[in-house]
Amino acid sequence: MDLFLSALFSGFARGSLYALVALGLVLVWRGAGIINFAQMGQAMFSTYIASTLIMNGQSYWVAFFIALISGALLGALVDLIVMRPLSRKRRSEALNSPSMRATIPVIASLGILGLLQALAGMFWAGEERGFQTPVANEGLTIASRVMPFTLFDIFIISIVAVVLLLTTVFFTKTGMGLAMRASALNQEVARLSGIRTSTVRTLSWAISGIASSLAGLLITPTSNLSPNTLDLALIIGFTAAVVGGLDSLPGSVLGGFIVGLVISFVTFYRSPEDVFLAILALLLLVLILRPSGLLGSKEVRRV
Amino acid sequence: MLDITGLTTEFGSVTAINEISFSAAKSKITTVIGANGAGKSTLLRTISGLEKPTFGSIKWDGTELVGMKAEAIVRAGIAHVPEGHAVISELSVEENIAMGGLFRRRNFKSDLLAATNEVYELFPRLHERRKQLAATLSGGERQMLAIARALVARPKLLLLDEPSLGLAPLVVEQIIETINNLSRDTGLTVLLVEQNANTALGVADHGILLALGKVVADLPAADLRADASLRAAYLGY
Repeated sequence: MDLFLSALFSGFARGSLYALVALGLVLVWRGAGIINFAQMGQAMFSTYIASTLIMNGQSYWVAFFIALISGALLGALVDLIVMRPLSRKRRSEALNSPSMRATIPVIASLGILGLLQALAGMFWAGEERGFQTPVANEGLTIASRVMPFTLFDIFIISIVAVVLLLTTVFFTKTGMGLAMRASALNQEVARLSGIRTSTVRTLSWAISGIASSLAGLLITPTSNLSPNTLDLALIIGFTAAVVGGLDSLPGSVLGGFIVGLVISFVTFYRSPEDVFLAILALLLLVLILRPSGLLGSKEVRRV
Repeated sequence: MLDITGLTTEFGSVTAINEISFSAAKSKITTVIGANGAGKSTLLRTISGLEKPTFGSIKWDGTELVGMKAEAIVRAGIAHVPEGHAVISELSVEENIAMGGLFRRRNFKSDLLAATNEVYELFPRLHERRKQLAATLSGGERQMLAIARALVARPKLLLLDEPSLGLAPLVVEQIIETINNLSRDTGLTVLLVEQNANTALGVADHGILLALGKVVADLPAADLRADASLRAAYLGY
């Protein structure tokens, strides 16, 4: 029973991290039509900033919020400096073909990932970093009984729950949220409604930057930070986004939790070596049975 | 007044509209008719800023619109209802209407509320269905929603692209009637693009006949309607 509960709690904690990564990917995919392979590179960068601040004696929470702000800025800068100029119409017709227009930003995002990893190597000499968690990362003891979860698991789950709640309120109750949904769904009608779609797009990049930086901050205490450690989170988060449906925000969260639970149960009941096989099996299963993801919209449109 | 001079829009090597010039009087309905491919939709899309003209000028009340972004042109009081019941199916009726007024929510909050109520009065069916997704509406209701989305921004000039497309005659009549009343009662200027020339000329004050991207007739609607030779040559009936 304790094994089951441990797996469950750890699965939810992991799942909420993958949900954040997937949320970040889906935000940019819906807002800009780009799979941002640099996302966890951006998160790595802002997490390094946080760890530097903590090493220099700042409190965890100051570092935490500065990392989130730099995550947002970095996201916005990627759009303003790289993606927006790339999306302008090019003179050559060959470069304006739909397949090229889809490919160019992906290559660019891989380039940004490489650049950020190289810069982290220069600034921080690629050294491994970790930082103390604000709460204990070991089995919680209540009434002299060791609980099957840690206080840090609870910490992660509650922060992510708050973030997801705020995100939901933002998208369903505010004008800016409506503008973002409208721009993602139909750019032409959104522009004709007076929505500044390019500003909205930059905002999606910024919010995605916050979500993924938060994931980076919460992943680091359990696995040390190096320029490449978050690559794995990108791969798993991307799987989560595809499982949930790339164009669905609730889907990305659902996908994150499913993948987190699968990883956790396989780790606890089988062995950590089987984790990749299990994720791959899950991904294939979803792609065969529901190619658009669990909550993704089908490509069929009413005429 | 809308003043268009020498307007030309090209797509690669194809010239969709070719040196078009005409004016549309304030608070009147001007209709642009012509066969399929005459350039009617391109004309409206160029006015609303969705397409960039190669050259020419579009002036609304003396302000040059060429070079402005589509989202800025809406703010200047020009609303475009593009072809094909342009609503966002995945949003509710309410959200589609709210979307049309988003850019006014900071400075004109109370007027936005009034404008929303007015469009619901104009189209009571939309009020009944305000919580439903736009995808669940009938074709006529979707067209009403597209128009409501445009009207909630309180435009001075409404660009309507083929509102009759794919709708039953009775629904078309109802929509055209609403537009006519609106123009008469509120002084809205309307530029109505239609393939259904008879309906359009019946309600319009003035008519522009387009063929292969050029203006071939610029006449009061009644005269255009009465000219059998023009009709036979360009509209085929």
